[in-house]
Amino acid sequence: MLDFDVISPKTSHELFEVISNSQDKNYRFGAGYTDLINDLNNNLQQNLTVINLAKLNDNNFKAININENGVQIGALVTATQLLENNIIQNNYPVLWEATNSVASGQIRASATIGGNVCQASPSGDMSCALVALKAVCEIIDSKGNIREENISDFFRGVKKTSLKKNEILRSIFVPINISKNIKSGYIKVGTRNSMEIAIASIAYHFQKDEQNNVIDAGYAIGAVAPTIVFTKDACDFILGKNINSLNETDVKQFANLIKKYAKPISDIRASAWYREEVLINLSETILK
Amino acid sequence: MVKELKIIGKSTPKLDAKERVTGKSVYGHDIELPGMLHGMILRTKYPCAKIISIDVSEAKALDGVMCVITAADVDVNQIGYKRDHPIFKSKTVNCNRDEIAAVAATTKEIAKKALSLIKVEYEVKKGIYNPFDALKEDAPKLNEFSHDKFGNKNIGESFHYEHGNIEDQKKLSKVIITKRYETSRVTHCCMATSNITASYSKLDGQLTIWASTQVPFLYQRDVAHALKMEPSKIRIIQPIIGGGFGSKLDMLPFEPICALLSIKTGKPVQLLYSREEEFIASPTRQPMIIDLTTGANENGKFTFREVKITMDNGAYTSWGATTPFVMMQTYSSLYQVPACSFDAKAIYTNNPFAGSFRGYGNPQATYSIETNIDLLAKELGIGKDEIRLINANYKGEITGQGLNFKTCGAIPALKKVIEESKYSQRIKSQISNSKSQESGRYKKGIGLASMLHVGGGAKIYRSDGCGTRLKIDHYGYLTIITGSNEIGQGSETVLAMIAVEELGIPIEKIKVINTDTDVKPWDVGVHASRTSFVAGNSLLGAIKLIKEKLNKQAAKLLCIENSDFIYQNGSMFHDDKEIKIDKVVREMHFGLPNELCVVEYFYEPPSSFQDKEFKGDVSGNYAFASQAIEVEVDTLTGKVKVLNVFVSQDVGRVLNPLALQGQIEGGVATGIGFALTEEMIYKNGMLLNPNFHGYKLLTSMDMPDVNFYPVETYDDAGPYGSKGVGEAPLIPTAAAIANAVADAIGIEFYSLPLSPEKILKALKEKTINKVLSI
Ligand SMILES: Cc1cc2nc3c(=O)[nH]c(=O)nc-3n(C[C@H](O)[C@H](O)[C@H](O)COP(=O)(O)OP(=O)(O)OC[C@H]3O[C@@H](n4cnc5c(N)ncnc54)[C@H](O)[C@@H]3O)c2cc1C
Repeated sequence: MLDFDVISPKTSHELFEVISNSQDKNYRFGAGYTDLINDLNNNLQQNLTVINLAKLNDNNFKAININENGVQIGALVTATQLLENNIIQNNYPVLWEATNSVASGQIRASATIGGNVCQASPSGDMSCALVALKAVCEIIDSKGNIREENISDFFRGVKKTSLKKNEILRSIFVPINISKNIKSGYIKVGTRNSMEIAIASIAYHFQKDEQNNVIDAGYAIGAVAPTIVFTKDACDFILGKNINSLNETDVKQFANLIKKYAKPISDIRASAWYREEVLINLSETILK
Repeated sequence: MVKELKIIGKSTPKLDAKERVTGKSVYGHDIELPGMLHGMILRTKYPCAKIISIDVSEAKALDGVMCVITAADVDVNQIGYKRDHPIFKSKTVNCNRDEIAAVAATTKEIAKKALSLIKVEYEVKKGIYNPFDALKEDAPKLNEFSHDKFGNKNIGESFHYEHGNIEDQKKLSKVIITKRYETSRVTHCCMATSNITASYSKLDGQLTIWASTQVPFLYQRDVAHALKMEPSKIRIIQPIIGGGFGSKLDMLPFEPICALLSIKTGKPVQLLYSREEEFIASPTRQPMIIDLTTGANENGKFTFREVKITMDNGAYTSWGATTPFVMMQTYSSLYQVPACSFDAKAIYTNNPFAGSFRGYGNPQATYSIETNIDLLAKELGIGKDEIRLINANYKGEITGQGLNFKTCGAIPALKKVIEESKYSQRIKSQISNSKSQESGRYKKGIGLASMLHVGGGAKIYRSDGCGTRLKIDHYGYLTIITGSNEIGQGSETVLAMIAVEELGIPIEKIKVINTDTDVKPWDVGVHASRTSFVAGNSLLGAIKLIKEKLNKQAAKLLCIENSDFIYQNGSMFHDDKEIKIDKVVREMHFGLPNELCVVEYFYEPPSSFQDKEFKGDVSGNYAFASQAIEVEVDTLTGKVKVLNVFVSQDVGRVLNPLALQGQIEGGVATGIGFALTEEMIYKNGMLLNPNFHGYKLLTSMDMPDVNFYPVETYDDAGPYGSKGVGEAPLIPTAAAIANAVADAIGIEFYSLPLSPEKILKALKEKTINKVLSI
């Protein structure tokens, strides 16, 4: 019952042209379609055009590129491709685990990282990991102008991003680890082991020196506020501390600083009380 | 010694396994008839309102719309077990499913558009969503067609049962425990949504319906009654059914509505539910509030059970209101119970009406009894395993209700799961090491529960029988035409296996025909775990007849005295003589007596009707089962993980191990969902989670290991000694899980599901209380 036009550009050149020509039209990008179809089912707009990115043949969008500064992940890289990448698995366990927690094998085969970020859902799993990793969005407009924006700033609200009408997300940059000594992971709270959207989630990525003192901290919480939040005060607090031997007070203090960022709502899946409670309980265990 | 059999007891894949896994099976959704229209239903916007007006003119005017109907356009009877349910609602709407109008159009898109053009004006009323509110003096009468038979205008159905002397038994009791238990509303979640295709011929007045019913002959009668037609003018064909689980016992309004659309247009009409509609408007398990009091004497022997059950009937009365038939068996006869008093009432509300669901009230009853037993044991200081063994049912027992346990695997099943799960070690370690456990995040626990269910059909309708016709063709192929139904449980396969066993015809040469009321002989339907038992016995009766025919003819051809033959590999053997079955059949036809090789047999189980007091031996035999379940509770999130499930069940005899394992695992999966995650969430009569995103049906990724140990008691009544197995595996699961959670964290819960939030709250309160008491 979905009725819309589809245009499938094959090169960036064609893509920019399509975007330029569509400025006065109602259009949406489609990558893996696992969010888009659902959105349209709930609320189909009239005279909609879908600009299909699936046929696009441009490695800026499609590849995972590694250089001395970090990893550049094309927006069209699928969850499955991320999971198969050893560099991601070894250096960014938080991203790997978050990606592995998305839906099911079938959905992961089509779901893209760019779609996850642009959907701007407070419970997006890959997005939550990227916030903890202080990732940077690479955005390009139909004239080929590129701008970069920290992912935390990119999110503006539930399903809201900073993208302008003539812009598209091309890739996501994740900075290189400054230490090999890391403590990194993803915790997702939900009822089922698969096919589950987070009730609350935590992405953490701590880099430590040889004495286990934290030299870089990334900590993000999902599904407890309108956007995924980077808990900056908690991260600042933990810097310089030995994460393997924190005392009880430090752990409590850390958890309290996180609590400040949580503004959960009650819905049919969980109450605000529950969301906050597990967020704090689990935050404490990470440091214990 | 029990005779070793050729194929019975050996794993045999389903006859249509290849079609199923390659997507070749034709479900109701795949049917396409020439000129077929698409039907859709307009449901109410409010769960409780007066209808002021309905305006369908714009919908009728839309291009492609062939027909729009409302109550004003049809002459029909009310439906449902109490005939208290109008197919279309014209004056009031009483629950969120209520049907107001229906359209038939050339495409689904047009049908949907047409629905949006129908204007309904409502006067919204305050509904009643709690059965106790409905019982209040000042409550309005919620169903205008109810009979007022039970002393309150909003009681739709009522049951009373008793045996023994409760007062005497109370005096003998050392402990008496009273608790209120509450169970939630869950639904079947059939993978195929509800569907129907109806085709009416204006030429001869014949109505053909492709329907996923579980009870085609009762359904035929129900549709006929609804439409004021002659039943024999209606032909019911069952396509492949993508899930039943009891949801397809009631005929629902969408079915006569689809037929009406076809009658009005003279064209075939198909009506398919969306997943959302499936959640909103298909049957559910009846939510219940169970007030249970039980007692035991100082030796741990049970003394009595007294129970009052309040069922939320919803707006209309479905088969769901009759679940007390099954529940009273459990209260009266699960374990030895000297005295029992049972009351159950179905109360009208503005919630959706229920329906039947695998277990038929028994999961709710068993949950209350089995968690109560743990409390009795704790109070008495007796082992939770011991108290169950002391009171277990036994062979030869005739219970207070008159159930006659000619065979009984209750004690072996209990002992098996206690042993295999290392129950006594696990539960004891919990007690002795409780200090060291205190600090850990994850707490493990183990729980035990048993169940009793009918195993040889259940005589609640005037006949609990099944007919079979057999035909062997000129080439030695056997066709089994059975009254019984396949809903995925594997009945076709087990029937074919029985024929292989008895007639030695290879399974590839056997066809099972079971989908057409114009062809097949009568059967009451697929429910009550009855099909292998009843259809199997019916088939064995028919096989006996066809063997007599073949034996006589073969003896004649071989010039020997009429006698028994051994049937193997498509041939018949007597001493050193052999003759092929197909040859015997051909000679029977082309030579004298010029007969076809066909027979017919009807089997009626030996069970009896219960009397007015609900006493009597209602089933051909009885199934018993126990489960021990190990869980782990995450004290930081309240989430329960089921680690290990041990199931032991008296199945009489294993017929097809592969299919049996499927039934066990499927039942356990449904039981885990009922215990932990599944719940239809309503607010003022409207469903808030009509999708799998919000309704937490578990997936294969959540399934624990299921260790299954069949108990074989070889009951004379069942085919090869077998009993019904289908419902049993889900019945004790929620109870065992609730007991395991209580064991793990030392907190008892009296309502389902045991959601993470409920558990975390309770854990938190417990810590606060501890701190306060220091
Ligand atoms: C059954 C199911 C389960 C799910 N479970 C999870 C889960 O567990 N965790 C989770 O995080 N998500 C889950 N999702 C959501 C979804 O799968 C993910 O968000 C996925 O990563 C989206 O990617 P996609 O390629 O399918 O996006 P699409 O649906 O193609 O697009 C999503 C949105 O992003 C826009 N968009 C896509 N690419 C770009 C681009 N390059 N530039 C600008 N805009 C763009 C689209 O216009 C659209 O608005 C689930 C979805 C389904 C259907």
